[in-house]
Amino acid sequence: MMFQISARVIAGVCFSILLGACATPQTQALRHLHSAPLPLQAELAEVPFYPQEIHQCGPASLAMLLNAGGDQVTPQQLTAQVYVPGRAGSLQVEMLSATRRNGLLAYPLAPQLADVLAEVAAGSPVLVLQNLALSWYPLWHFAVVVGYDLEREELILRSGLERRQVLPFTTFEYTWARAEHWAMLALPPGTLPHTATEAGYVASAVALEQAGHMQGALAAYESGLQRWPLNLTARIGSGNAAYAQGDMRRAEIAYRQATQDHPDSASAFNNLAQVLADQKQFAAALVYAKRAVDLGGPQQAVARDTLRQIELNMH
Amino acid sequence: MNLRFMRITSRVLIAGMLSLSLPMQSAYAAMVGTDQVASSAQSQSERARISSFLERADVRQAMENQGIDAAAAQARVAALTDEEVQTVAGKLDTMPAGGDILGILFTIFIVLLVTDILGFTKVFPFTRSAR
Repeated sequence: MMFQISARVIAGVCFSILLGACATPQTQALRHLHSAPLPLQAELAEVPFYPQEIHQCGPASLAMLLNAGGDQVTPQQLTAQVYVPGRAGSLQVEMLSATRRNGLLAYPLAPQLADVLAEVAAGSPVLVLQNLALSWYPLWHFAVVVGYDLEREELILRSGLERRQVLPFTTFEYTWARAEHWAMLALPPGTLPHTATEAGYVASAVALEQAGHMQGALAAYESGLQRWPLNLTARIGSGNAAYAQGDMRRAEIAYRQATQDHPDSASAFNNLAQVLADQKQFAAALVYAKRAVDLGGPQQAVARDTLRQIELNMH
Repeated sequence: MNLRFMRITSRVLIAGMLSLSLPMQSAYAAMVGTDQVASSAQSQSERARISSFLERADVRQAMENQGIDAAAAQARVAALTDEEVQTVAGKLDTMPAGGDILGILFTIFIVLLVTDILGFTKVFPFTRSAR
């Protein structure tokens, strides 16, 4: 009797060591989320499916996500952008960068199952990284969450060779937790993620601008500004994206708004001065350039340069 | 003499690196780029720019070592943000790479089969997870 119990305890202990800490707190939390604003079920049946070729779950999953976001890229095209032959797989950061290279906004999600479901309910498929096996014997895998059923506690994924894989929340949470709950969205620029945070969203928009997609960046900044009108980075970013496309008037309006909302921003005054100088309004430009230099701060060297250029042009 | 030589060389190198990294900055000399507005401290950002440059070279080399051709590696590194470069630098050969490597040893196969059935893992398409 005694022996039996201790054998059971030992077996249990061994098993938990084998699996690492096993718990599904996020599934538990969903169970108690009765007043959740989530619909009981959702499924994005229109998300296309590319069965993955060997080791190609990265390109296949990303193609499904980008297609759903309106970009007609194929898994074969994405292989050249995300696949790492020596690793026989694809990296998380390159799923983000390849999304931007193809002109969509890449948004890393908070590590919350509730957020994944909220995005699916809002119409966006979610790319997730799973470790399908064990922490000490990893089997990394990308898949796309396209649906869920809160009552049945099931998630619906496009995964590997399965067009419609149904996984219990708990199993998914185990595999997802081993990949540190990593998830991302790919959205047409101008669409705000349902669970967007101000800092996270603006950083995503800046990254899109840096990827050279100025028109997309402009749309992303402008929809961000509708929700967070006082965000300085987004305001100046919208000006810079317009300026890069040669739209001086639109850039000027953005910078002017930035100087009004943020009268202590040297960057706002500097860029306003520059765009006015580009339009040959040197007298007005001079006033703002001087203001930018007076405000000092980290961009003072740029402001001095702007001022010098304007003074040269006036003489 | 030697010290002076080193000092000059290092200055030339730093200047060279900064000029190389310039295309990634704002294309307009007198405009403040959005990324510069987003990151406030300049003294830090000068140093960060140099270390980011070195990290990018490091990641590009690591990509080539992993079988990506030089031109593609260059474009792929350029597409990463400084923050993303930091997460990859020095870790490209160990960090998670989603891809399903199904070369499983027999003992591991048995373990994974059991954990699959119990619903802790999801390795095999033919298992149905318990709840």
